[in-house]
Amino acid sequence: MKRRGLLRAGGALALAGSLAGCSSLIETRAAGVPPVPENRPDGVYHPSHVEGMSMIGTTTSGDYALGLFYSYPHRFWNVNGNSVSLTEIDEDDAVHLMASVWDPETETVLPDTGLSLEIYRDGSLISQEAIYPMLSQPMGFHYGANFGLEGDGTYTVRLSVGAVSTRRTGGFAARFAEPSTAEIPFEYSESAKNEISFQVFDEEVGTPGAVDPMSMDALPNASAPLESDLPGRVLGSGTSNDARLVATVLETPPAGIDGDGSYLAVSARTRYNRMVIPAMAMAGRLDRDGETVYDGELARTLDPDLGYHYGAVVDDIESGDELTVSTRVQPQTARHEGYETAFGGLMGGMPDVTIRVE
Amino acid sequence: MALDGDGDADRSRRTVLKAAVALGGASALTACLDRTSDDPVPSGDPSAKPARQHAWREYVRHDDHGNTQLPSHQILLYLTLDGDGPPSADGRSALAETLEALDRAYAWSHEGLLHSIAYSPAYFDRFDDPLPEAIDLPEPTALSPFESPTIDRQDAVLHLASDRADAVLEADRALRGERDTANGVSVPSLPVTVDSRRTGFVGAGLPAQHQDAAGIPDSHPVPEASPLFMGFEAGFRGNQATEDYVTIESGPFAGGTTKVIANLRQRLADWYDEQSDEERVMEMFSPGHAENGLVEGIGDNLGADSKIDQFVDELESDAREYGRVGHAQKAARANRDDAGNVRLLRRHFESTDDIGSDQKVASLHFPSLQRRITAFEEVRRAMNGTDLTEETPAIRQRVNNGILEYIFVRRRGYFLVPPRRHRSFPTPRPE
Repeated sequence: MKRRGLLRAGGALALAGSLAGCSSLIETRAAGVPPVPENRPDGVYHPSHVEGMSMIGTTTSGDYALGLFYSYPHRFWNVNGNSVSLTEIDEDDAVHLMASVWDPETETVLPDTGLSLEIYRDGSLISQEAIYPMLSQPMGFHYGANFGLEGDGTYTVRLSVGAVSTRRTGGFAARFAEPSTAEIPFEYSESAKNEISFQVFDEEVGTPGAVDPMSMDALPNASAPLESDLPGRVLGSGTSNDARLVATVLETPPAGIDGDGSYLAVSARTRYNRMVIPAMAMAGRLDRDGETVYDGELARTLDPDLGYHYGAVVDDIESGDELTVSTRVQPQTARHEGYETAFGGLMGGMPDVTIRVE
Repeated sequence: MALDGDGDADRSRRTVLKAAVALGGASALTACLDRTSDDPVPSGDPSAKPARQHAWREYVRHDDHGNTQLPSHQILLYLTLDGDGPPSADGRSALAETLEALDRAYAWSHEGLLHSIAYSPAYFDRFDDPLPEAIDLPEPTALSPFESPTIDRQDAVLHLASDRADAVLEADRALRGERDTANGVSVPSLPVTVDSRRTGFVGAGLPAQHQDAAGIPDSHPVPEASPLFMGFEAGFRGNQATEDYVTIESGPFAGGTTKVIANLRQRLADWYDEQSDEERVMEMFSPGHAENGLVEGIGDNLGADSKIDQFVDELESDAREYGRVGHAQKAARANRDDAGNVRLLRRHFESTDDIGSDQKVASLHFPSLQRRITAFEEVRRAMNGTDLTEETPAIRQRVNNGILEYIFVRRRGYFLVPPRRHRSFPTPRPE
């Protein structure tokens, strides 16, 4: 940790002292951010700590609802293709800003919009970045980045949502096609930030598992539908490096997709927390009596009923068919701690999932 | 005089002038004019000007490869007429008089002053008659699925350019009525309101000198040799349309062209701090340029052609193999006609203007000339790479997708540059 980081953590330590003894969990930042756990498993694991978060505000703009939240600066792992690299907290970082975009009608969290934000203070530009899609255990999919600020005061954050280029179906087919911009004021004070919870864990750290998803009234959950709520006939599921892939088949493709036949959809969600896993390149192969009857892309698709999924039109699916789902590109989202080794991640490898159709 | 407060008492006049155009403030200008004692700026002959306002190439410097070196100092004056109707005959004569005075004051040269005035669709809407159908000048619009630019709908824009900071500043000041003469010639002020004044610079040394601006990391990463903030040469001769190619060939505006001017904010912290040289080459040119080591330093070794045409067909496979695609690679695929000619003549220059504030923020003024505005729109849309985001999720809307992560379009305007004979408040169908 860099020097200034240590000094800041020292200040927080004094505050922690004043709150000591409330529980076995330390409620504010103790001796800085714990190190990345050693001997992490190759899969979803319980992180060393979890930062709480505080809502800055929500608004609606165009087809979108937007929420803006903040916390302490985070370390995270960036993913570009197969490369996964740690982004450390910079000494100038004041906050981790998190933005979430959802459909105000169905409360579906929208991945793949692209999001950039500008931060102003008294009309002066403080920062502007295209911020990265991220997956965290408590929040699931969101956009996030660390930012430096210029001390306590009133800031204006202007969020720009890009149009969704992901294939959209059903009631989503004609929506989310335009970009939109909204402003949310941000009253920042370091002392208010330091009241945000900072939980440090002990013996469960580095073991398979996940912290619970947080719940916030203002923010819809970024989770995938329960298997029992998925439309169509659920064919089965399998797990690939802790990405749980659930396959379902609809008798006809959802509105907006051309082609005759059945519609094969794979819904990907994190093990334990059922958070949507977006931004993968996936392919499916259907074998019947030793012959391949479908072999092709499962396209990233956003549907109000299926949620975000990977889908393709196939002629039909029969009992006895063998479906093989392959991940060609791991989820192109940055990872918060506990997800950086899973779904490909630092160690790579998302094995095929094979499902025999009953 | 503290222009940038570095306390260098021996600052040369030239350095002061360079800083002054970039700052653009009145005090900087005064400082400039106090220091114009050496080489005289060549004066001009109105009858010796080329018929095309956009005829610049023959009159500016070129590098050893024949690439155009745009004038170092440039100013854009966005102009608005009073009222709603067409300009009056008096107004037309007054503008003609001002521009002729400018022609007398300065030689048509990078050592004198190059200038051109262009008119927006909003200007032509003042008339009952429409433009000839062959003129392609639509309303400006957003051209990517992630931008919401403010549209510049002023009536006209007057572009001033010179290697002499004192020339461009004195002309600017006379045009805006802050002084009576320019280069010793009486110049009546423009008979219109200057709605917005935007300044900039381009060429080796200037971006490095002005890199103390928001958007560029504190490490001062911009190479001294680079003509632009992003650290590479651009506008290679082989990748630019010729002036002939972008010139409207027939009709009343024959000899004219169309002009798009965008303003982009640049955010180069991640460009310089997170990316290796190789990754920057991949994102600016193409993965093939990096793989084959084609670009040394700022890319002067490329000569007169960026060699981008060799890599256009690799876009989809590069996207899948490298998870990255190049800016030039994407744009080039729409920037060639059926015969392989380049369609756009780009004349972009840097700035620390932050339109609407006094803050110094790295930005780019992006004028592009083309026969039809639609050509620009097609190239810009190709640059979005939306199709490549479908090829692989590693290419995102703005990330790993050329240089889109680092540039943010704030303004865009479309204009018609009439030939010189119709440059003063033309009607839609001038005689």
